[in-house]
Amino acid sequence: MTASPVHAPSAGTEGQEAPFAPGPVEELLRLIIKAGRAHQLYLPNNPIYKGAIDTLRAGFTSIWAQVDEISLTFSETGIFWYDHVVLSEPNKSADSLSWIFFKDGVRELSLMKGFEEKEVIALLGILQRARKATPDEDDLLTMLWEADFVYARYRFQDLGMDPAAPVTDSSPKDDVTREQIESATHSAVVETQSSGIVNLSDFDATLYFLDDAEIEYLQGEIGREYAEDLRSRVTSTLLDIFERQTTTPEREEILGILDSMLVTLLATGHFRGVAHLLREVQVTTQRAPDLLPAHKQALMDLPVRLSAPESLAQLLQSLDDAAELPPQSELMELFDQLRPKALGPVFSWLTRMQSSRVRPLLEAAAERLASLNTNELVRLIAAPEREVSLEAIRRAGALKTPAAVQSLSKVLAGPDVELRQMVVHALTEIGSPSALQALERAVEDADREIRISAVRAFTARSYRLVLPRIETAVKGKAIREADLTEKMAFFEAFGSLAGDAGVEYLDAVLNGKGFLGRREDSELRACAAIALGRISTPNAATSLRKASSEKDVVVRNAVNRALRGSTS
Amino acid sequence: MSASSRPVAAPPPLRATTNTSADPGAGDSYIRRAGRSLIYAYHGALRAIKLYPVENAAVQRALQELTTLSKEIIAAESELEIRTSGEFIFVNATRLRLDLDNYASFSHLLSLCRRAGLGAQQIAGTVTSRDWMVFLSALQAAPGAEEPEQRFEMLLAKLDAAGVNAFTLARPAEADEDDKEKAKERAKRTYAQSVAVTKDLMTAVRFGKSPNIKKIKRVVQGIVDQILNEETSLVGLTAIRDYDEYTFTHSVNVCIFSVAIGKRLGLTKLQLYDLGMAALFHDIGKSRVPSEVLNKVEGLTDDEWKQIAAHPWMGVLSMFQLRGTQDLHYRAMIVAYEHHLKIDLTGYPRPVRDRHMSVFSKIVAVADGFDAATSRRSYQTTPMNPADVMKEMRDNSRRGMDPVLVKAFVNLTGIYPVATLVVLDTFELGLVHASNPIAEMLSRPIVRIVSDDKGNVLFPGYLVDLADRGQDGAFKRTIIKTDQPERYGIRVGDYFI
Repeated sequence: MTASPVHAPSAGTEGQEAPFAPGPVEELLRLIIKAGRAHQLYLPNNPIYKGAIDTLRAGFTSIWAQVDEISLTFSETGIFWYDHVVLSEPNKSADSLSWIFFKDGVRELSLMKGFEEKEVIALLGILQRARKATPDEDDLLTMLWEADFVYARYRFQDLGMDPAAPVTDSSPKDDVTREQIESATHSAVVETQSSGIVNLSDFDATLYFLDDAEIEYLQGEIGREYAEDLRSRVTSTLLDIFERQTTTPEREEILGILDSMLVTLLATGHFRGVAHLLREVQVTTQRAPDLLPAHKQALMDLPVRLSAPESLAQLLQSLDDAAELPPQSELMELFDQLRPKALGPVFSWLTRMQSSRVRPLLEAAAERLASLNTNELVRLIAAPEREVSLEAIRRAGALKTPAAVQSLSKVLAGPDVELRQMVVHALTEIGSPSALQALERAVEDADREIRISAVRAFTARSYRLVLPRIETAVKGKAIREADLTEKMAFFEAFGSLAGDAGVEYLDAVLNGKGFLGRREDSELRACAAIALGRISTPNAATSLRKASSEKDVVVRNAVNRALRGSTS
Repeated sequence: MSASSRPVAAPPPLRATTNTSADPGAGDSYIRRAGRSLIYAYHGALRAIKLYPVENAAVQRALQELTTLSKEIIAAESELEIRTSGEFIFVNATRLRLDLDNYASFSHLLSLCRRAGLGAQQIAGTVTSRDWMVFLSALQAAPGAEEPEQRFEMLLAKLDAAGVNAFTLARPAEADEDDKEKAKERAKRTYAQSVAVTKDLMTAVRFGKSPNIKKIKRVVQGIVDQILNEETSLVGLTAIRDYDEYTFTHSVNVCIFSVAIGKRLGLTKLQLYDLGMAALFHDIGKSRVPSEVLNKVEGLTDDEWKQIAAHPWMGVLSMFQLRGTQDLHYRAMIVAYEHHLKIDLTGYPRPVRDRHMSVFSKIVAVADGFDAATSRRSYQTTPMNPADVMKEMRDNSRRGMDPVLVKAFVNLTGIYPVATLVVLDTFELGLVHASNPIAEMLSRPIVRIVSDDKGNVLFPGYLVDLADRGQDGAFKRTIIKTDQPERYGIRVGDYFI
C-alpha cells in the first residue's frame, strides 16, 4: 500500500463527473459497515459472518464492472465519492466509519480491483482494532501502514506533526580562491598519477558482493533476531547493568524496572521470561559486587513475590481459565522458579485445577517444592486450609519425612477424621520409630478405619512397643462389639506381636469355656485361631489342634486355615 | 521483433508484502509467487548460459524451465511484463518482494537491465527456448564503450538479426525534473521532520517527560517508505552537517543508513521499521549525559569520558521511561546497549552474561561508526573524509564491525560514499551524489561536478556518471583521490539541501 501525506496530490476527483451514479458506492459503504459489525460479533465460520462478507464482495463486484478503482474521501461526518456524499454520519463516534478514518488523519482511501479478495477482511480487522484502540495504542495510520495493502492506498494528514524547520548546513565555509582550487586540484592529480599505487579493493566491485555463505549467515542472524525472546535479552541486559554499575540511584532504578517487568511479563503471559528473570536475579544476588543489604533483599524478594499466595493464585487462576496455554516447557520453567512460600497455594490449587495440561505440571512443582522444603511442608501440615493440610500430610508420608512426625501427631489428636486417616497413612509410610510411636494412639482412635489401619501398620512392621495397647484392646469389651474385620486386625496384630506369650489368652478364647460352659462367639474364636496361626509355635499348634474338631463351621475353618499356615 | 523506444510508464503503486511469517511466500498472490519463480528461472538461465555452451543440457533445461514458466504466467494472466524501476522488479505490475532468498537473483537482473539500458520487457505467448537463449545471451554480453542508450539499441538490433520477435522492450522511465524535484522535496521534509521529532524525543527524555511515540513511529515509517521508494535523496541529506543539532541529525542519519542497509539485506518492510525504530533510539542514553559534557569542545576528562561511555546502558534505562513496553522498545533497548560493542563483545559496555549480539545492533554499529566519523561535532571539528572512513571500516578489523555488514554497507554507499569530495583526472572536483546503480561500478559513482578544471566553483553544478565512457572506450572521468571539501572551500551540505 502506498501512503502519502496530504501535501502530495490527491486522486483529484473533486469537481469531476462521476463515471456512474453513486448508488453502488453508497451500497458498498452500507455493506462495509454491516460486514464490520459481523466481523465484530461473529467468528469467521459463522454463516452470518460469511453471508455478510459474500454480500460485501458482491458489492465490490458491481463496482468493478464499471471501474477498476474507487477513491473515497473523508470528512468528520461523511464519506465522499467525487462530489457525492455516499455516507452521511452526523455522530462523531467509534461507530462512525467516516470519523474512524478522519480522526486519525486519513483523508482519502483508494481501493482497487482485487481488494475484495483478502485485503477487505484485513481492513475490517483494522477498523475493529482502531475502534477499540486506547490513546497509547497504535492509531489507524500505523495499522494501515503495517498492513501494507497491495490493492489499497491512502492519503493522510499527519495531525501530530508540526511543520519542521528546514535543515541547514552550519559548517563553516572557508574562502578559497579559484587559483588555490586549481592549484590544489592539479597538484593532487599529478601527485597521485605519479605515485602509481592502486588499491585493488577500491576498484573491484565484486569484492563487495555477498556470497552465498554470507547471505546464509545473514539469514541465520535475522532468523535468530526474530526467534529469540527479546524480554529475556533485556532482562539479562538490565542485570548486567546492575552488576556493572555500583551506584545506588541506578541500581534502585533497575530494581524498580525489574519489579514492574515481572508484573508485566506475568500479565502478558510471558512465563519463560518470568522464569528467566527470576533465575538470573538469583545469579545477580550471588555475584553482584558491593551489593547493599537493601538491594540484595529487593532482589531476593522478586522470586518471593511470585510465590506469594495472592500473586500465585492469580497466575494459577489465569492458567486454569486460559483457552490457550503456553508450551509446557515454558510453564515448567516458570514453576521451577517457585519458592517455598508457593507450596501452600500450589497444594491448595492441586485440588481445584481443572486444566488437565497444567495439573501434572503443578503436581511436579508440588513434588519438587515439597521435597526441597521440608520445613514449609511440615508447617503446612497444620495449615488452616483443610485441603492444604491434607496434601501436606500426604506428601510428608510419600516423602517419608521424619521431621513431620510431631506435626502429624498433633493432627492425629484433632477432630478431623479424614485428616487423621491421612496421618495414619503418612506415619505408616514414614515408618520411623518415632512415627510408629506417634501412631500408637491411633489404636484407640474413635474411628474404626483409623484403628484398623494403625493396627495393620503395626502388624506389618512388627512394632512390639504397641503390644500393651493391642492387648488391652483384644482383651477389652469393645472388640467384642466390633465387626469381623476389626476383630481380625486386632487379633492378628496381637498374635504377631505377642508371640508365644499370647498363646495362653488366645487358647482361652478359642477353646475355653466361660461361666456355665459358654464359649466366646464364633467370630472371636475364629480370630483367636488366626492369631494362633500367626504365632505358629508348638504351643499355638497344640491349641489349634484342640479345636480342630470344632463343630462351629466358622471356627473350624479358621482353625484349619491357621493349622495349614502354621505347618507350612 | 517489435521493440519500442518509448520510456516505460511510471511504476504502479508499490505492492510490497508485509508477510513476516516463516514462509515468506505464504498468502502471496499468484503473480507474486509465479513472478518470484520466474526471476529464479531467469537468473538460473543467465548463469547456465554464462557457464556452459548453449547445447549443454543444463542450459537447455534452464531455458525450457524459463519458457514453460513464461507461458504459464501468460496463460493465467494473459500477459507477461517484467519491468525494473529503481531497486524494484515488477511482474505484470506487481512488485516482487526482495528478500535474502532472492537477493542475488534480483540484484543480478537489476544490474543487467541497468547496464543494457532496459526498463521493461514484454514477453509474447509464442516465446521459445531459442528466443530466450538469444535474448539472454545478448543481455549479458560484455559491455563495450557504449552508453546505455546505445546498448539498448544494440540489444534490439541483435534480436532483430536473430529473427526473435517474442520480446517487446522498452527503456527505463526517465523521471522528469519535476518528479525529481518532488522526490527531493519529500526527502527534505521527511528529514527535517525526523530531526525535529528526534529533538523532541531526546528533550522529552532529558526532562523526564513522555515523548509522543506515535510521532516517532510516523517518522520512521516515513523513512522506511522513502528508502523503499527512492533512497538517493534521503541518503544524500545525511551529508548535511548541522553542528548545532548533531545529536539529533546523527540519530536520523543512523536511522537512514540502517534502514538502507536493511533494505539491501532484503529485510521486509516491517523488519525495516523495527530496525529504523531501534536505530533512531540508539543514542537516547545521551539524553542522560549532561549537555556540557556532550558539547564540550576541549578534551574530555576521564570522568567525562565515563559519562559519555555510559550512554549505551543509560539508553536502556531511558527507554523504560517511555510509555508502553511493546516489542519494539525491547529491541531498541538491546540495540542501544550493544551499538558500541564489537563483534567479539569487546567495546563498551562490557557485558557480564554470555550474549549473542543482535544483527540489528551490528547494522546500527556500522551506520553509527560511519556517520559519527564523517560528522563535525563538538570534539571532532574536522570530520574524516567519508571514503577514508569507509576504507578504515573495511580494512581495520580492530574496529570490530561485522565484515559482512561492512560489505553490504559498501554495496549501499559505493566505495566512495555520498558526499565524498573526489578529485577527478579531468582536474574537476566532484561530490559523490549516489552510488552507481550498476553493481559492477561501485567505484564509479554518480558525481556532481562542483568545480571545473580551471578551479571555478559551480553551483549547483551538474551530475555525471563516472561509468560513462568516451568514444575510445575509456572512462570519461576517473577518481584520482578523495580530499577534504574544506580545502577547496566547498560546503557539502549546500549541494544536498
